[in-house]
Amino acid sequence: MSQNFITEATVFEEVKKATAETLNIDKDSIKPESSLIKDLGAESLDFLDINYRLEQAFGIKMARHFILEHIEEMFGEGSAIDANSQITDKAVSLLQFRMGESFPELRPAMDMDEVPALVTVQSLTRGVLDILDSLPEKCSACGNSAWQSENSLRIKCGSCEEYAAFTNGDDLIKAWLTKVQEEKKIF
Amino acid sequence: MSREFPKRRVVVTGYGMITPLGKNTEETFRSASQGLSGIDYITSFDTKGLPCQIGGQVQDRWLDEIRDPVAQRYYKFSARGLRLIRAATLEATEQAQTDKIAARERIGVSLGYHADNPTIEDLVFLHRFYNGNGSWDMKGLLQAGGYSYLNFLRRKPDVVTSMLSILSNCKGPNLSIVSACAAGSQAIGEAYRMLQEGKADVMIAGGCDTTLNFVGFIGFVLIKALSERYTTPEKASRPFDRKRNGFVMSEGAGTIIIEELEHARSRGVPVYGEILGYASSADAYRITDTHPKGLGAILAIRGALEDAGISSEDVDYINAHGTSTVQNDLTETVAIKEVFGERAGSIPVSSNKSMLGHTIGAAGAIECILTLAGMNQSTILPTINYEFPDPKCDLDYVPNVARTQEHRIAISNSFGFGGQNACLCIGKFDG
Repeated sequence: MSQNFITEATVFEEVKKATAETLNIDKDSIKPESSLIKDLGAESLDFLDINYRLEQAFGIKMARHFILEHIEEMFGEGSAIDANSQITDKAVSLLQFRMGESFPELRPAMDMDEVPALVTVQSLTRGVLDILDSLPEKCSACGNSAWQSENSLRIKCGSCEEYAAFTNGDDLIKAWLTKVQEEKKIF
Repeated sequence: MSREFPKRRVVVTGYGMITPLGKNTEETFRSASQGLSGIDYITSFDTKGLPCQIGGQVQDRWLDEIRDPVAQRYYKFSARGLRLIRAATLEATEQAQTDKIAARERIGVSLGYHADNPTIEDLVFLHRFYNGNGSWDMKGLLQAGGYSYLNFLRRKPDVVTSMLSILSNCKGPNLSIVSACAAGSQAIGEAYRMLQEGKADVMIAGGCDTTLNFVGFIGFVLIKALSERYTTPEKASRPFDRKRNGFVMSEGAGTIIIEELEHARSRGVPVYGEILGYASSADAYRITDTHPKGLGAILAIRGALEDAGISSEDVDYINAHGTSTVQNDLTETVAIKEVFGERAGSIPVSSNKSMLGHTIGAAGAIECILTLAGMNQSTILPTINYEFPDPKCDLDYVPNVARTQEHRIAISNSFGFGGQNACLCIGKFDG
């Protein structure tokens, strides 16, 4: 269910904070459209660090794998990345659909090495919000429906005080891919 | 080809190894020349729930077969690393007959190793006496027997190097090299340098590592360095193949005895090859990402060729670092193309890690020895699991089947996490 406890602005602030702390840069230099790699100078290990900080802040589990890896696993080898290490047209249209807006850098036949640079502060924020929106109707510990926000970052059961359990990022991507495949039969 | 030898020449008079493919050099080389894999599901610790559950283990029974009462009393100082390197070193020193050398102060030891990891049992035991806020129940800890000083020694990478000097009675220079995947090669390279400079007559050089335990393994899982997609364990390590997706962790050890040429001649021992050159470098770039243009790798390869006094034209074979990670194999290919130019496509390049997995600190030593053994048998070991060509990796990787081919000069690459690079130039002994 979509949750109303943690706002997009809060998540954005937290992503900025995690990014700034990881990369040791000024928070104000970070914009929603900043590419972590291209604009902010992140390297691959930094993604792990930023994800870890966000996981700690919100009590969530971020995705460990890029969506392309999930596509390959679910729809077969070669479905997302072809023999030339280029992204397939189908994967590009799927990504465009997921991003929900025009992404000029995202183009057919782009090299898979270029994909990590597509991750922006905004797309990370979206990823966190998606996970938070997996908040179940009822508390899995006591069965009551009495969610409350704590420090505007964590969601807690007002009845048994347990923190909410969210679906992890990888499972959400897989569920999304399954749904889109059923609707659009892309692969 | 004319070569001058302004410095002292350094030759190989013995070698030994213990690997997932065999308890000694002969077994390992035989299996490797048949293109066999030493990778299987890990049994040394519980991998349930981990995204990678495979590795290359050295069989316990191979270690148990070694009758070595002198060393046994020291095993408590190093859970497994010492046993591995001792096995390799016994093979090497026996072959080189180093026991017969009188001047023990002229024999040194140079070892790449990263020490034993803390065990979960250690951590759980300590946890009982720690309140989580910086305070210890020291009385309780002491009553429970205290924290063993042995744990302190096991965490120190220098201890095994000094143990080797004790066990082999080597009173010369004693070097501990800690440079991740480049350590084995650097240990040999720096030892070679000492011999050239006359700091010793003989060096026992090599590397070992044993990371197939929870604490050692989990770090590589967390940074997503290991292969997580494989149909069977033996298919997981696939250097230069398009479907490579990480390396496979292995354990092992390799020891090489290198010696100043005239010293070897005066002893009348057989010579198995020559170390012609060595260089090391750093990417000075990022922690785990390799430099995209392979600048550090290029520096190391060019440096080794220059040190050997040869040109890129003279190289007949490249023993690749070839880890099976997306980045390394691509960058290494880029570097080879840059150094060897148009010839790059016609030089055989193969990765022993396709069969052995990645033995980290031991890899450089094991691969140096396999390169020498291959030279002496005119055999180029294959890169197995090469099934799907990667358009970006388009060299001759000696796919799947060993090749019979005379070759006299080779380089062996080792590139570590953190951008530490080493390259050894190895030659067949010409007399």
